[in-house]
Amino acid sequence: MHKYLSFFLCLILSLASPMILQASQIFPFNYKVVELENGFKVISIPLPNPNIISYYTIVRSGSRNEVEPGKSGFAHFFEHMMFKGTENMSPEEYDNFLSEIGAGTNAYTTDDYTCYYVVFAGRENLESVVKAEADRFINLYWDEEMIKTEAKVIEGEYYASVSSPSRRLFELLRDTAFETHSYKHTTLGYLEDILDMPNQFPYSQLYKNRFYAPDNAILLVAGDFDHDQLMTLVNQHYGDWEKSGYSLITAKEPAQTQAKRAHYDWPTQTLPMLAIGFHGPAYSDENIDKAALDLMAEIAFSRSSELYQRLVIEEQKCQSLGASFADRRDPYLLTFSSVVKNKNDLAFVEEEIFKELERLKTDPVSEEKLDDIKSNLKYSFANSLGTTDGVAGSLAFYISLTTDPGSVNRMFDLYEQVTPQDIMAMANKYFEISNSSVVTLTGGKTQ
Amino acid sequence: MKNSKLFLFIGFLTVAFLMTLSCTKQSAGTLGTELLPVEGSPMVSFRILFNVGSANDPAGKEGLCNLTLSMLAGGGTKTLTFKEIQKKFYPMAAGVGVRIEKEMSVFTGAIHIDNLDEYYAIFKEMLLEPGFREEDFIRIKTNQLNFLEKTLVGNMDEQFGKEILNLMMYANHPYGHHDAGTVESVRGLSLDDVNAFYQEHFKPGNITIGLAGGYPTDLPNKVKDDFSVLPEGFDPPLELPAQRMPEGLEIVIADKQTPATNISMGFPHTIGKSSDDYFALWIACSHFGEHRQSLSLLYQKIREDRGQNYGDYAYADHFIQGRRKFPATNYCRQQQYFSIWIRALANSNRHFVLRQALRELKKLVEEGISEERFELVRKYLLNYTKLYAQTLGERLGWQMDSRYYGYKNFLTEVQERLPKITREDVNKAIKTYLNTDNVCIAIITQDAQGLKDALVANTPSPISYANPNMPQKIMDEDLVIQTFPLDIQPEKIHIAKASNFFQKTGIPKTE
Repeated sequence: MHKYLSFFLCLILSLASPMILQASQIFPFNYKVVELENGFKVISIPLPNPNIISYYTIVRSGSRNEVEPGKSGFAHFFEHMMFKGTENMSPEEYDNFLSEIGAGTNAYTTDDYTCYYVVFAGRENLESVVKAEADRFINLYWDEEMIKTEAKVIEGEYYASVSSPSRRLFELLRDTAFETHSYKHTTLGYLEDILDMPNQFPYSQLYKNRFYAPDNAILLVAGDFDHDQLMTLVNQHYGDWEKSGYSLITAKEPAQTQAKRAHYDWPTQTLPMLAIGFHGPAYSDENIDKAALDLMAEIAFSRSSELYQRLVIEEQKCQSLGASFADRRDPYLLTFSSVVKNKNDLAFVEEEIFKELERLKTDPVSEEKLDDIKSNLKYSFANSLGTTDGVAGSLAFYISLTTDPGSVNRMFDLYEQVTPQDIMAMANKYFEISNSSVVTLTGGKTQ
Repeated sequence: MKNSKLFLFIGFLTVAFLMTLSCTKQSAGTLGTELLPVEGSPMVSFRILFNVGSANDPAGKEGLCNLTLSMLAGGGTKTLTFKEIQKKFYPMAAGVGVRIEKEMSVFTGAIHIDNLDEYYAIFKEMLLEPGFREEDFIRIKTNQLNFLEKTLVGNMDEQFGKEILNLMMYANHPYGHHDAGTVESVRGLSLDDVNAFYQEHFKPGNITIGLAGGYPTDLPNKVKDDFSVLPEGFDPPLELPAQRMPEGLEIVIADKQTPATNISMGFPHTIGKSSDDYFALWIACSHFGEHRQSLSLLYQKIREDRGQNYGDYAYADHFIQGRRKFPATNYCRQQQYFSIWIRALANSNRHFVLRQALRELKKLVEEGISEERFELVRKYLLNYTKLYAQTLGERLGWQMDSRYYGYKNFLTEVQERLPKITREDVNKAIKTYLNTDNVCIAIITQDAQGLKDALVANTPSPISYANPNMPQKIMDEDLVIQTFPLDIQPEKIHIAKASNFFQKTGIPKTE
């Protein structure tokens, strides 16, 4: 344990006194949170990286918000529309502006949020970036014709992904495991909904009004800038953004009462794949459930685990094996997956995963193993903080979940509290066969 | 108290950041070093550059370099099994990465200073005392075969297209096989082959030790001493045959049941980053197709104006994406090529978009770049390249590449050179190095014969839009594009089943 204590000492460089740092200080940088009268929250993290600034706008709307039938993929679609300019700044002018300052810019959509980022060099560019970004979030202009053209781009993005069988596997898992919640579909959405996007101009206006509002968005700025200057600019350019007041109600997923199973025949050659999902808890930095499950995923299914070593390294039945217990605002899936080398071994690998879950219900993990996992999680997180972009991107995720940057520290504090008994309790609570969905995918004939 | 500590922290790191020094030493046959000390940094980045790549694969043993280096990064040592290595690395959140390219490969690692000694002891052993165990060999070789046979051909069509383009441009050339080899060649590789390749090439003269971050001052000498156990020697730079220029439009179609068509095209040229002309050609290609940026003209014309696909880009030289969308480092090579990447699009529009891309290339070659675009793109590159080297690994990587190209610092060179480039320089480079008549074109699509027939017959290829009110300017241009003539001779179109690629060296025969 002493090793990572000195690690954090070094990160924070608390030179004045030999203090013992707690996990609650995993995020070592000072930050300020300011909320405008219209509800727009600003998180500023001045950093010493010379001359580079990362400017992230987080809209707390993702595929989770696509609650109406036929609207899957709309959060992602609207992300594309956000690059269409305003009455003050045409898309060409916006593109040229970003090109002139040499900004690295893009956006991504997740289940719970959509994030827009501009990474650029030069403090002197901050004012123009604040002005341009505020303008497009407040004054975005788009019309029906633009919707129809951009919808084809989404179709193209879908096509770019169709050669990936793993994407299909996880689409199938979500579709199988969920009945009512919008986590049933992926961020890209169902193909039939994508094909109908050209007709969705009225809905796009509704979507913008509901979710692209200061009370549903957060600005996160990290890098070489002055906080007071940033706030002056933000007040000036975002102050008139009108609240939405919209409150999203997502469907409550009914408890699963019997095991589910589905299979997909991939048309061309591919290695066989397997994914198993169990309904789990939502993200929480207060309740021990998710923290214990995160550690369990690492203990039982990471590269250091006995099962991974046996199936991947020793017996070589699998090309890969892993667990993903993703953090989501609403209860989501605890997922195990494997790429198997021979399709005759699919059933065997599935059985081994279930056996391991049963073992976790009765056999406590060692304290030493638990310490290794906690150490890994901390080093992994801290390793991601080497750039302004890394700082902003890492924090954006936690901010999207709770709006509070302090959540990351609380979560790592929870990790410290997890005991072997907690892990056994969680295995018993969530890993019932009746709560499982198993999906498989195997390749077709050679072409 | 907290604020005062933070102030100390910021001040300390800022000073440390600005006080970084670099040095390098290497002469033929000796171990090279590239150092980037960053005082106060809690991290240490390793980059072990190996001036050997897949072009060094012996004939008939394609994929051997990849297999050998993968055994170093993903196998056990003489004293530790790979399982034991993973167990030791895990609490440190550490690992060893490797990337194999044509003439250069790189091992990478990053570690916190707390764990430096323990990490380096294992890292060193992995490279200098590999275990070459049979069980690791079987596992890694099987993964390499599965990648060639199933993953590359079945699961990743965009990369598949780029690899077919490489096969086309570099037939009968040391570059002319996939870095992972072929199914046939990899099946024939033995553990003895791996051992022999390691013994033959893993020599000090082929290796540059790269260190960056807050490492102790004695580490560089310690590493050099450790690597001195390797037998002396080096490989002279490969003597590569002249690159073959395509004759006319040469097309290879991989026939595959797929709803989407992927296209990559290009041709070899004679300059890389060390050439004076490179900077002008770079501006031209950034204008024409800057990687994953809306600055790209192809992106604007194909995606933004017409919604045909997710993106369309062009490259002045071999390109590998690193963190975010920035270029990676440490894949330098002697010979280069220009390329265009058309991302997946509906099969129904494949002929139109192929015409459109070649027409835009023709316009670029004939008309050059406008003054307005020239100024914009030059300014863009001057600013965007400031973002290239942010992490320790990126800074070290660019520093190492700078040596290869013959610059003290390539990114500094960019700041000095680009302001001196004129529009005339760019247009001259376009005329000198780009062309529209002799291009290799790799296509992955279904109904390959139907596409071949349409291409040879120059059949009009109109497209339709969901938007009934497309701008007249675009509709007028579409009328030109849909009948834009492509001079494609039937014998220049080769069709092969997708699953037959990478079975043996070269383009598979038509069945």
